[in-house]
Amino acid sequence: MTGSDQPPRPNRPVYLDNQATTRCDPRVLSAMLPWFTEHYGNPHSVEHVMGTEAEAAVEDARGHVAALIGADAKELVFTSGATESNNIAIKGAARHALRTGNERRRIITVATEHKCVLESVADLAGEGFEPVFLPVRADGLLEPDVLRAALAVPTLLVSIMAVNNEIGVVQDIPALAAMGKQAGALFHTDIAQAVGKIPLDLTGWKVDLASISGHKVYGPKGVGALYVRRRPRVRLAPLFSGGGQERGLRSGTLPAPLIVGLGEACRLASSEMAEEAKRLTALRDRLLDRMRDRISGIQVNGSEQARIPGNLNLTFPAATAADLMARVPDLCVSTGSACSSATIEPSYVLRAIGLTDEAAARTLRIGMGRFTSAADVDYAVAALAAAHAGAPVADIERLAQA
Amino acid sequence: MPKMTFIERDGTRREVDAPLGLSVLEIAHRHDVDIEGACEGSLACSTCHVVVDPGWFRKLAEPTEDEEDMLDLAFGLTETSRLGCQIVITEALDGLVVRLPAGTRNLLNE
Repeated sequence: MTGSDQPPRPNRPVYLDNQATTRCDPRVLSAMLPWFTEHYGNPHSVEHVMGTEAEAAVEDARGHVAALIGADAKELVFTSGATESNNIAIKGAARHALRTGNERRRIITVATEHKCVLESVADLAGEGFEPVFLPVRADGLLEPDVLRAALAVPTLLVSIMAVNNEIGVVQDIPALAAMGKQAGALFHTDIAQAVGKIPLDLTGWKVDLASISGHKVYGPKGVGALYVRRRPRVRLAPLFSGGGQERGLRSGTLPAPLIVGLGEACRLASSEMAEEAKRLTALRDRLLDRMRDRISGIQVNGSEQARIPGNLNLTFPAATAADLMARVPDLCVSTGSACSSATIEPSYVLRAIGLTDEAAARTLRIGMGRFTSAADVDYAVAALAAAHAGAPVADIERLAQA
Repeated sequence: MPKMTFIERDGTRREVDAPLGLSVLEIAHRHDVDIEGACEGSLACSTCHVVVDPGWFRKLAEPTEDEEDMLDLAFGLTETSRLGCQIVITEALDGLVVRLPAGTRNLLNE
């Protein structure tokens, strides 16, 4: 079989990489635009009307973000995104504890976390802390007993992501946070891939710190937030020196247009998440059913139950991901996380759930989202099935020898 | 009359009378203990920050949100830090020990 079996080319690329980023919702863009143009005041310029109207817009947005994640608006600090939030949460909590005479040094995280969490924790080893990286089960979930055992040593901080960015699995954050609290540790969770995808209740879950990203929830890139619990008070050493904005935790002028966009994205997610989850579940099942009909032996990575609706991570039986993507240039999918795809190294997440490097090289991440249609899904199935059927077997043999 | 002890920055311990109903800040001022208290106890600064002896810390009433907000801005914060103006002497606090922190930050002077 050859490329002649490919479906007709779409007018525009079909985007199925919604864990890398999402399209900024046009309604979000509309809400943002006036804050770039006529309402350009600095939200910290509280002595005049241009400043106070920007401040009011920022505070409105803070309320929308808080409502979506089950927090109080006062508990949110705006940042440039989840990478910065994760850095402030992890390094800030550790350094504050050190300064205030806390003797705990252990920081526990999980092997499948986002790079910025793994690297933040690893960097703290150089400051006298003891990083612990826990393995996950083959389904991508953390075994609670593994965390319990690690907590036997007095622990300062536990950081576990709510939803994995590659395999889409949902960790049981309420249960894991309760274990951390019981052991007297702070509990941080990266919720970048969970916000607007699954219901969150940070107050009820007793989470201390949580990291949020704008562009994973149909908001703009370059903005995010950090949730910092107020009761009981969680304190952090800030990373930035400066004017003391955001309760001293994140100095720097707030980007009002981006924050308005994040707020609007969260407001929309609050009202549409339940319906969207149903629609995406149907699309995901449609894609998987049809893919299984066309390609026998295709395998889903990560728990099929505990996962967000819009994600599939698939290992193909007889073609490399690189070949498949080369044969279907109109389809935007990925081989791993966007940050890792700059390197040729196999995904450490797939390794952590037990895939060989060779199987990892046959694996694609497919992410459906708010703007994905049934036609997009059908195109992806037809195009990938045709590409898979035509993939040179030699590739696989070569890989196996490598 | 209840007593309380201030441990000054050079380590000197000063035991003083601590009349019921007075705050640690007010007691410090009566005895010329070097605590600033720039806002006179109106919860607008953190210059009366004291470090409470860990054994006594648990016996204090929980801090309010407003006190926590001011402690967020205190220099040299510890796990047993409180604002002196918010600790009011009761019979149960007879013998209270607090230490003066290394430095304070007076936003009113900035």
